[in-house]
Amino acid sequence: MKSLTHIIFSILIILFIGSTSVNAAFKIPKYETYTLENGLQVYLMQQSEVPMVNVSLVVKSGAMHDGKLFGLANLTGEALQFGSGKLSKTEIEDQLAFLGAEINSNTSTEMSFLNISFMTKDTDIIFPLFSDIALKPSFDETEFSKFKKRFLAQLEQRKESPRGIIGDAFARLYFGEHPYGNPVSGNDKTVSKIALSDVKSFYKNYYTPKNSALIVVGDFNKKSWIKSIEKQFSQWQGDAPKEKLMPLNSSPNQSNVLLINKGDAIETTFLIGGKGISANHPDAVAVQVINTILGGRFTSWLNDELRVNSGLTYGARSNFNSYQYGGNFTISTFTKTASTFEALDLATKTYMRIWEKGIDQETLSSAKAYVKGRFPPRYETSGQLASLLARMWSLSLDDSYINSFETNVDSLDIEKANEIARRLFPKDNLQYVLVGKADDIRENAKTYGKLKEVEIKD
Amino acid sequence: MKKTLLLISCLFCLNSLLAATELDDLKSFTLKNGMTILVAEDHSIPNANMYLFWKVGSRNEYPGITGISHFFEHMMFNGAKKYGPKQFDRVMEANGGANNAYTTENTTVYTDWFPSDSMEIMFELEADRIQHLAIDQKMLDSERGVVTSERSTGLENSNFRMIWEEVKGSAFRAHPYSWSVIGHQSDIDNWSLQDLKDYHRTYYAPNNAFVVIAGDVTLKEVKRLANKYFAPIPAQQPPRKVHTVEPEQKGERRVYVQKPSATSANIMFAYHVPETQHEDYYPLAMLTTILGDGNSSRLSRALVDEQQLATSAFTYLPESFDPNLFYIYAVAAKDISSDTLEKGIISEVNKIITEGISQKELDKVKNKAQVDFYRTLATINGKANTLGSYELYFGSYAEMFNATNKMAAVTVEDIQRVAKTYLRRANRTVGVLDAKADVLEGDL
Repeated sequence: MKSLTHIIFSILIILFIGSTSVNAAFKIPKYETYTLENGLQVYLMQQSEVPMVNVSLVVKSGAMHDGKLFGLANLTGEALQFGSGKLSKTEIEDQLAFLGAEINSNTSTEMSFLNISFMTKDTDIIFPLFSDIALKPSFDETEFSKFKKRFLAQLEQRKESPRGIIGDAFARLYFGEHPYGNPVSGNDKTVSKIALSDVKSFYKNYYTPKNSALIVVGDFNKKSWIKSIEKQFSQWQGDAPKEKLMPLNSSPNQSNVLLINKGDAIETTFLIGGKGISANHPDAVAVQVINTILGGRFTSWLNDELRVNSGLTYGARSNFNSYQYGGNFTISTFTKTASTFEALDLATKTYMRIWEKGIDQETLSSAKAYVKGRFPPRYETSGQLASLLARMWSLSLDDSYINSFETNVDSLDIEKANEIARRLFPKDNLQYVLVGKADDIRENAKTYGKLKEVEIKD
Repeated sequence: MKKTLLLISCLFCLNSLLAATELDDLKSFTLKNGMTILVAEDHSIPNANMYLFWKVGSRNEYPGITGISHFFEHMMFNGAKKYGPKQFDRVMEANGGANNAYTTENTTVYTDWFPSDSMEIMFELEADRIQHLAIDQKMLDSERGVVTSERSTGLENSNFRMIWEEVKGSAFRAHPYSWSVIGHQSDIDNWSLQDLKDYHRTYYAPNNAFVVIAGDVTLKEVKRLANKYFAPIPAQQPPRKVHTVEPEQKGERRVYVQKPSATSANIMFAYHVPETQHEDYYPLAMLTTILGDGNSSRLSRALVDEQQLATSAFTYLPESFDPNLFYIYAVAAKDISSDTLEKGIISEVNKIITEGISQKELDKVKNKAQVDFYRTLATINGKANTLGSYELYFGSYAEMFNATNKMAAVTVEDIQRVAKTYLRRANRTVGVLDAKADVLEGDL
C-alpha cells in the first residue's frame, strides 16, 4: 500500500472533522429525535440507498467508569451477547448469521455501543432479538468464563505487536491515574479479577434508559418503528448513574520516557505527545485543520520529512484524542532500530516548526480545502451516521456541528491559525513512549527525559 | 436519485429489480487506445472517486525484481512531466482530494477520492503520471527506505505476514506467487532505475487498465475529460503472458518460523485451488465462509468456542488470475500446542469431506452474500472497488450483479465435492510460527 492512512495506531481519529464540499454545502441529513417516558433518547434518520437498517444502542459508560477493574466496561459490552431472553449465545449467533445480520459491541473511553445491521425485510425478527440482547442479557456463567479465558490470551497476544500496545501505554503515561488513562481492554492483572457479579452490577448501574440513546438509521418505515421501539424499550427502567469525574491533573512538569523492551524488535515504534483539547473545545475545528498540516495527511510536515524526504519510515502522523473534559496529542511513527534517534529528532524538529516558522498561507488554504473535501465521505453510510448522532447526543452538540463546519473552516485565517497552533499544541515537557530493542536504544533514550523501562510482556 | 427507484423496486422483488436498476445505471466506454472507463453515478454525497486498475502485480515479476510492482506503486507518486516530485499529492490535497493505492499478486490499484467539482484536475494528474512518469535517482533512493520500513513494520507487527511469506515460498516453487507482494529485501535494495523504466513502459499502458469512476459525476462530463486527458496516451504492445504453471504438489509441505516474542502458536494451512474464473470458484468461496467466517462458522464454533483450542480462526481465498491458495489460519489458545491445534483443524476439514454440510449452512452463506452485496453498494468506494475487481477477476463488472445467482445454483454436494477435491493432505502446505526454536530431541 502507498500508506496506512487512517489506521496507523488503532487509537486514532474518533473525531470528526471536515466540512462541506467545495461546491454545495453538506448538511446533516434530516432526522427526528424524541424521548421515551423512561428517559431513553431516540433518534430516527431515514437513508434509503440500500434496503438495510442500522440500529445502535449507545450508553454513556466506558473505560473511564471501570474503577480499578480496567476492562470492565468492555467486558460488560461483550457479555451482552452471551445469551438473552430464551436464547443461548450460539442460538443468537446462528439466528443472526443466517440472516446475514452483523452485530458488534464496541467500547471506548467514554461510551459503549451495541450495533447491528440487517436487511429491512428481517426487521420483525431482528429488532426483538436485538432488544433482548440489550435489555435481557442472561450473563451465562459458562460463556463468561470461556470468554474471559480467551480474552486473557488475546491480551497476551496483543503484546506481540508494538502497535497493539503503544496507545494504551501513552494514555497511562500522560493521564497518570486519571480514568482517561484506563486501557479500554484492561490488562491481564485486572481482567483476571473481574467476576461475573462485577459485570452484572456494572450493567445495572450504567445500562439505563436515562443514560442511553437508541439510534436507528437506514431504510425503514417510521410509523412502525416508533411503535416497535415503544413496545420493546418503554418498560426499561433505571436512573442515570451519579458520578463525579476526577479532575484532570495538570500536565506533567517534566519529560518522561517510557522505554518498552521487545527483545526481538527490528524497528522502534514511538509516540511523542502531551496535552490535547476537549472534544467540544471552541477551537476544535481550527485544531483539526492545523493538525492536518502537521500530521493529518500525506503531504503533512511530518510525513513529508520523515517519509518522503528521508525515507526513514513508511508513515508519520499526529493526532488529537479528545474526550469530553480533556484529551491528549500524539505524534506517531516507527523506523528501523538504527535510525531511532534520527527519526525522533527529525519528528521533534519538524514539530517545532509550529513555533519557529509557523504556517504559511498556501499550506493553510490547502488544508482547509482538504478537510472540507474529505468531510462528506465520513457521513456516507448508515453506520457512520449512527456514530455521528451518538457523538452529538453524548456531547450535547446540535446540528451546527455539521452544518457550520464549512463556515468554521473558512473563517480560519492565517493569524488565527498560527495563534491557535502556538497556544493549543503542547510545546514543553513532551512525553515519550518507545517500543523497541532496549539494549540498543536505552542510553540515548535517557537524554530525552526521565527514563522508565518495562518489558513488553509485563 | 436512485433512492426513489430502489424503494419502488423493493415493493416487488428486491433482488432482481434492484440488480437490474443498478446494472442499468452503469455505463462504460472504451477509448481508442484500449482504456475502458466505467461510470457509476451516485449523488448521495457531493464526492466521487477514480479507481484505476492495472493488470500488473507480483505475478509479473521474476527473481531479481521481486516486489517491483509494489515499489512501482510508490514511484507513481514521485513526479512526472507537468507535476514534478511531491506535486501529485500536493495538488490533489489542495483540491480537497486524497489518494492511496494497493498492490496484490495480480493487480495494482490506484484510488483517488475527491469533491466532485475537482474531477478535472484528477484526470490531469493521472494522465501526467501515466504518460510521462519521470523517475529520478534521488526519489528512488528515499523510496527504498520507505518500502523497507513498510516491509519491516509488517513483519514486526503481524505474525500472519511473517508466516505467509514462508508458506507461499513453499507452496509455489515455480509460479511467481511464490514470493510476497512486497518482495525480497535484497531485491528492494538492488533493482535499478532502468528496471523501473522498463516496468512502466510495459505495464502502464492504457490498454492494460480498467478505470471506474463512482459518485456525484455525470457520464457526459467523464467522457469529455477522458477524451481530453486519457485518449492521447498511446497504447503499447500487450505485456508478455505469464505462462508458468505450478507443477502438481505430490505431498504435504511444512515450514516453521521461530519468533521469540510469540505468545502462542500461529498456524497457516494453504491448499492449492484453481483460479477465480474456474467453475469451482463459487463453491470454494462459499466453503471459506462455512469454515471460517464469523462466530457461527465451523472452525470458530468447534475450535474457539467448544474445544477452546484457538483464540481465533479464519479462512481466506484471494481472487486470482492463476491457480492460487485456499488459506486457513488459527491462533492457538494459551498452552495449546501447534500439534493439537493442527489436528483440530484437520478434523473439522475432514468432517466436511466425509459428512458434507447442511442445507441450512448453505442457505446462510447465500443470505450473507445477498446482504454483503448491499453493504458494498452503500459506499461509492465499495462500488468502485468491487466493480473493478469483478471486471479483472471475473471478466466483467456485470458479474457483480450475477454473483448471488451463481451462488444460488451451488448445492451441498458441490461444497462437499470441492472440499474433497482440494482440501487434501498431499495438496497442502502447513506453516507454524512459534516462540521456541525448531529443535527436536536428537537434533542439534
